[in-house]
Amino acid sequence: MAAADSPSAALRRRDLCSRGIRLAGKMRADVIDLLDTYVERQGLDASASVAAVEGVPVAAVERWDEQTGTQRLLENLAAYRAFRVLLAQMLEEHREQLGEADTTLGRALAAVLLQVSAFAYHLEELLRLESRGPPSEEGAAPPPVPQLGLFERKLRGLGVLRELAQWAVRSVRDLRQLAKASPGSSSAPGWAESP
Amino acid sequence: MANPVPSACCVVLAAVVVVYAQRHSQQDSHIQYERVGADVTMKCGSMDWDAAVTWTANGTDIDESHLNGSYLILKNVDLTQSGQYSCYEGSSWHLKYQTYLRVGTPPKEPVLMCRSNSYPKGFYCSWHLPTPTYIPNSFNISVIHGTKEMVCEKDVFPKNRCHIKYLQLFSTVKYKVTLTVTNALGKNSTTLTFDEVAIVKPDPPESVVAKPVPNNPRRLEVSWQNPSSWPDPESFPLKFFLRYRPLILDQWQHVELSDGTSHTITDAYAGKEYIIQVAAKDNDIGTWSDWSVAVHATPWTEEPKHLTTEAQVTETTSASTSSFMPPPTTKICDKGAVVGSGAVAVCWTAGLVLAAYGVLFI
Repeated sequence: MAAADSPSAALRRRDLCSRGIRLAGKMRADVIDLLDTYVERQGLDASASVAAVEGVPVAAVERWDEQTGTQRLLENLAAYRAFRVLLAQMLEEHREQLGEADTTLGRALAAVLLQVSAFAYHLEELLRLESRGPPSEEGAAPPPVPQLGLFERKLRGLGVLRELAQWAVRSVRDLRQLAKASPGSSSAPGWAESP
Repeated sequence: MANPVPSACCVVLAAVVVVYAQRHSQQDSHIQYERVGADVTMKCGSMDWDAAVTWTANGTDIDESHLNGSYLILKNVDLTQSGQYSCYEGSSWHLKYQTYLRVGTPPKEPVLMCRSNSYPKGFYCSWHLPTPTYIPNSFNISVIHGTKEMVCEKDVFPKNRCHIKYLQLFSTVKYKVTLTVTNALGKNSTTLTFDEVAIVKPDPPESVVAKPVPNNPRRLEVSWQNPSSWPDPESFPLKFFLRYRPLILDQWQHVELSDGTSHTITDAYAGKEYIIQVAAKDNDIGTWSDWSVAVHATPWTEEPKHLTTEAQVTETTSASTSSFMPPPTTKICDKGAVVGSGAVAVCWTAGLVLAAYGVLFI
């Protein structure tokens, strides 16, 4: 893809990766602060074990170093689109539960939701640069909100935020790998993959 | 007539062999482990209680006061009583029973530590006992990640360490490591639970070098290398923390550096020897390494200009920029001590007088 390999495209790619790394780093710091606030406001034990939460994208990956650039971007984008929906659900439930009573947690949730949305957009830009374009979200119905009791919803929220924090770490690493790989390189963690 | 001496020797030798064989025949030898402070009763094999026997400990006869019939009674045993115990039938000196007594203690809770100095390759766990047991121990370690049991490859050296490879990265599922130590007197165990990032701690930076900067009396150039155990610093970059102080002060100066493996100190006190150390941390996760080996350096100092006098020896023009070896005349006429032109004249006069004394008395 000539356009994707042009010097200006390479510069733009490097710039987007650098900015993405900074965005992900800031997002991670804010998610960790949000986790502390969430645990405190919801009366939870910070060390509580939470089983795998249905519908929450899992950051854990095997053979991470063997992934191609496209795989990294697509997996990241799918994750942050899912987190966008999950955080919106959490914010809605929080407002229903407490109204305007607890603005601290509500504001923190809203701020992280904004960063997640911005990061998802950033990933879409990177995919467009690859001339691949991001997969469409249209027609994809949001996952149904599970019918859970109050305590289960709190634990689910804890699981969502923990996994989001881990994704933020992974995204920094993924973008660093992308920035490292040169366009058109034949090495494994490259950008393009044959269709 | 045949020589009687070789025949007599053969007879004696044969007798010795027979006695030795008898003493070590029918032996029942094994190892017996007992706790410190325990009371130990040893039976002389299948001998009756009222049989006449002799007990020895490491070849030395044991006094009859320790016997109850043919049983050997050792009360409140201590570590010094470990050794070989043998029981011989009274008159024939046949060896009837032999045991090796090992006095020790059951293991206390072991100390276990896990750390990743080679992220993202894997981590290692190492262990030790807080107090010795004085008897052999065996260690078994299990590593569980979620529902999966992982293999911990034991190191050849040291023996109390094993390595685990990460099969997944970025997992929120915790690792659970359980170490069990067992010996003949009991067992004990300990468990550590941690997540992937909590144990990441690089080794200290290597090859730290500090050098003066020519013509800059307040600068020191410091450089170092990533620890060789960190497998991929390009993908998993480290950040660094540098600390430095002059030897004459206790307070450290600190600088955090997010990239690069060098730094120039620009606020060093002129002429003072500095001690410098560096630590490393993954840019995103984990904890700081221990401090590196300390290096010492002194900033560049200008060589003092020599005044020409009759007593002046030939000037040496050294091109050295090192400030480690100032010329000896500076000790007397230290520029730093000069406060006015009159003081300079007194200073040089004192130097000349001392030089003259040196010539007279050498």
